[in-house]
Amino acid sequence: MDTVANLLFLILLTPLVSAGLIWLLGRQRGALASVISVAAAAVICLAVLHLLFRTWDGEGFAVSMQWLQLGSFELSLGFYLDLVSGIMLLVVGCVGFLIHLFSFGYMKDDAAKARFFGGLSIFMFSMLGIVVAENLFMIFIFWELVGFSSYMLIGHYIAQDDARSAAKKAFIVNRVGDFGFLLGIILVYSTFGTASLPELSALAAAQPEILTTALGLLLFCGVLGKSAQMPLHVWLPDAMAGPTPVSALIHAATMVAAGVFFLGRTVFLFTPEALEVVTWVGVVTALCAAIWAFAQSDIKKILAYSTLSQLGFMVAAFGLGTLWGMTQSSEYALFYGVGASMFHLTTHAFFKALLFLGSGSVIHACHHEQDIFKMGGLFRKMPITGFTFLIGVIAIAGIPFVAAGFFSKDAILFVAKSQNQAAFIILAITAFLTATYMGRLFFITFLGKPRSESAEHAHETSWIMWLPLVVLAVFSVLGGHAFAYPPVLQELIQNWVPHPQGADHTLLIIISLIASVAGLAIAFFFYGTGSYGDRLQKVAPPLFAISRSRFYFDEVYNAYVSKVQQRLADITAFLDTLFIGGLCVRGLAGVAGLGGMVARSLQTGSLHAYVWWFFIGLVLFWAFGAGLFLTF
Amino acid sequence: MNSIPLEYYLLVTGLLFAIGFFGVLLRRNTLVIFMCLELMLGACILGLIAFSRFNATIDNPMMGGNIFVLFIIAIAACEVAVGLAIIVALWRRQQTVDVSEITALKN
Repeated sequence: MDTVANLLFLILLTPLVSAGLIWLLGRQRGALASVISVAAAAVICLAVLHLLFRTWDGEGFAVSMQWLQLGSFELSLGFYLDLVSGIMLLVVGCVGFLIHLFSFGYMKDDAAKARFFGGLSIFMFSMLGIVVAENLFMIFIFWELVGFSSYMLIGHYIAQDDARSAAKKAFIVNRVGDFGFLLGIILVYSTFGTASLPELSALAAAQPEILTTALGLLLFCGVLGKSAQMPLHVWLPDAMAGPTPVSALIHAATMVAAGVFFLGRTVFLFTPEALEVVTWVGVVTALCAAIWAFAQSDIKKILAYSTLSQLGFMVAAFGLGTLWGMTQSSEYALFYGVGASMFHLTTHAFFKALLFLGSGSVIHACHHEQDIFKMGGLFRKMPITGFTFLIGVIAIAGIPFVAAGFFSKDAILFVAKSQNQAAFIILAITAFLTATYMGRLFFITFLGKPRSESAEHAHETSWIMWLPLVVLAVFSVLGGHAFAYPPVLQELIQNWVPHPQGADHTLLIIISLIASVAGLAIAFFFYGTGSYGDRLQKVAPPLFAISRSRFYFDEVYNAYVSKVQQRLADITAFLDTLFIGGLCVRGLAGVAGLGGMVARSLQTGSLHAYVWWFFIGLVLFWAFGAGLFLTF
Repeated sequence: MNSIPLEYYLLVTGLLFAIGFFGVLLRRNTLVIFMCLELMLGACILGLIAFSRFNATIDNPMMGGNIFVLFIIAIAACEVAVGLAIIVALWRRQQTVDVSEITALKN
C-alpha cells in the first residue's frame, strides 16, 4: 500500500477524480466544486510530502506497462521518479495547494466557480502527469492537456474579448512550438527505438555519437512554446487576462516551468551546439523581457514580463551549466545545468507565486483595479500583503543571503561567468534591471498616498487569502537553503547546483549586492513613491517608447498572420469551395438531384398520363416479346 | 348450334375493349372511367368464354374457361364495391370526380 508506485498513482489520480466529481455533481454548485477541488489539492500535497519524506529513498524509480500496440510500435504508460521530478512534485504539490486555498477566497463571488475549480483540477492532473511521466509520448499527451487547461482557464472570463483572444493566442502559439516538439519526439523514437526516459538515458550514455543537434533543437521547440521563450513568448503577457490565481499557478509557478523541467529530464539528449542555442535563447529572453517590463503599468503584466525574464534565466542556466559541466570532471558535473535551472525554478515558483498571489490580493482589495498608478499607500492598509510582497520583491531582486532568489541566481551567474563572459554580463545587467522594475512596482503600488477611490478603500483580505502568502513568504526566504527541503532532495540542492568558491564567491556576492540594492535604490529615487504617471515616460520618452514597443513582435506576427497566412488560408478556402465542396460534394449531389428532377417530372398527377405510360410500357413489352429489339 | 362464327364474337370483344380503353384514356369523369374499365373487363370475359365455347369437344368440354369467367365476374363485383366506395369518398373529400382536378400525386 505504502509504496512509491501507489503513492504516485494516488497523486496522479486524485485531481482527475476531483475533476470528474465536479463534472458530475458540481457544475451548478460552485461551493461544492471549490471544496472538492481544494480537498483534492490538499490530498495531493500531503501525498507528495509523505512520498518525499517517508517513502521514497531517492533512487531513480521507474515502472511502466504497455498501453497500446500498433504493429511494432508500442506505447506505454508509466512513472519515472528521479530527483528532478521529485523537486517538481514538491513545487506543484505545495504551491498548487496554497494557490487552491487562495482561490477559495479570491473566486468566492465568481459566477462560474465550478468551471474554474474543475479547470484547476484538470490542470493539476495534467501537470502532475508531465512530472511523473516515464516516456516522451506520455509527456506529450499531458503536455497537450496542460495546454488545454491553460486555454480553458485563461478564457475563464468568457464575456471579455481580451480573455477570449488571449486564450486562443496561447493555444495557437503553443501549437507552433508543439509541432517541433512532436517532430523531435518522433526523431528520438526513430533514432533510439524507444521513448522511455530511463532507457534513453542509458542509450545516450552508451553511444553519444548518434545524438544530433537537430534532435535537441526540435525538442527545444516545445520548450519555446510552453516556457514562452523568444520568439514564442508573445502569449504569456496576454494570458494575464485570466484570473489571478491561474496566473500564479499556471503562468508563473508550474506550467511555464514545465519546459525547464523537460530540459532537465532530457539533458542527455542535447549536444553542445544545441546547448549553445538554448543558452542564447534564454539570455536574450531574460534581457528583453526585463526591458519590456519597464513600460507596463498593469501590475500583472509587470509580473508576467518578470516571469518571462526569469524563465530566460532558467533556460540560460540549463545551457550554460550543462556546457560548463561537460568540461568539468566532478561526479555531478553533467547535472550542473539541471541543478542550477531546477533550483531557480523552485525558488522562482515560491516567490513568483507569492508575488502573483500578492497582486491578486491587491487587485481583490482594490475592486479589480490593476493599474499601479491608481494604487499607492497600500502598505499601511494591507500590512500582511504588503510585507509578504516586499519579501517576494527582495527574493526576486536577489539581495544577498536574505532570500531564496539570491542563492539560485548566484549559481546561474556563477556558471555563466565560468562558461561565457558575454552571457554573464547580460545576465548580470538583467539582474540589475529585475531589481529596478520590481522596485518600481513595489514603491508605486504600496508606498505614497492612495491615488484612486478604490485604493482609498482597500483593506486587508481574509485569512484564507493571506495565509498562503505567509507560507509562501517563508518558503521564499528559506527556499535557498538545502535544509528546507526533504532529505532525499538535498542531494540535488547541495551537489547538483554548482556553488562558487573562493574569489568567484566574493565577486558574485558583490555583483549581486550591487545589482539588487542599486536596482531597488534607483527605483526608489527615480520613480519616487507618489507619482501619478510613469517618470521614465516624462524624462526620456525614446527609452520608454523602446520598452513600450516590445520590439514589435506582436505587430510582426499580426502582420504575418493577416498578410501572409490569411491570404494563404483564403486561397485554400477558395480551392476547397471550388473542388472539394463544389465539384466533389455538391457535384455528386447535383447529379443525383438532376435525376430526381427528371423522374419527378414524370409524376404529373394526371391519371391519363399514367394510362399513357402504362400503354407505352405495354407496347414496349410486346415489342420485346415479339423480338423487335433483337434486330438492332 | 354454331350459327354465329367465332370472328363475330371477337369483333364485338375488340370493339367493346376499344370503347373501354379510349373511354379510360379520354373521359374525365371518374365514374365514366370506372365504367369503361368494367367495359374492358367485360370484353375480356366475352373473348374468354367465346374461345372456351369454340374449342370445346365432347371429350373435353373446356369447363375451365366457364369457371374462370365466373371467378372474374365475382372478383369484378368486389372491385366495383371498392372502386365505388373510393369514388364516393373522393367526392366527399374533394367535391369533384374530375380526374384533371385530382392531381395530389403530382411531383
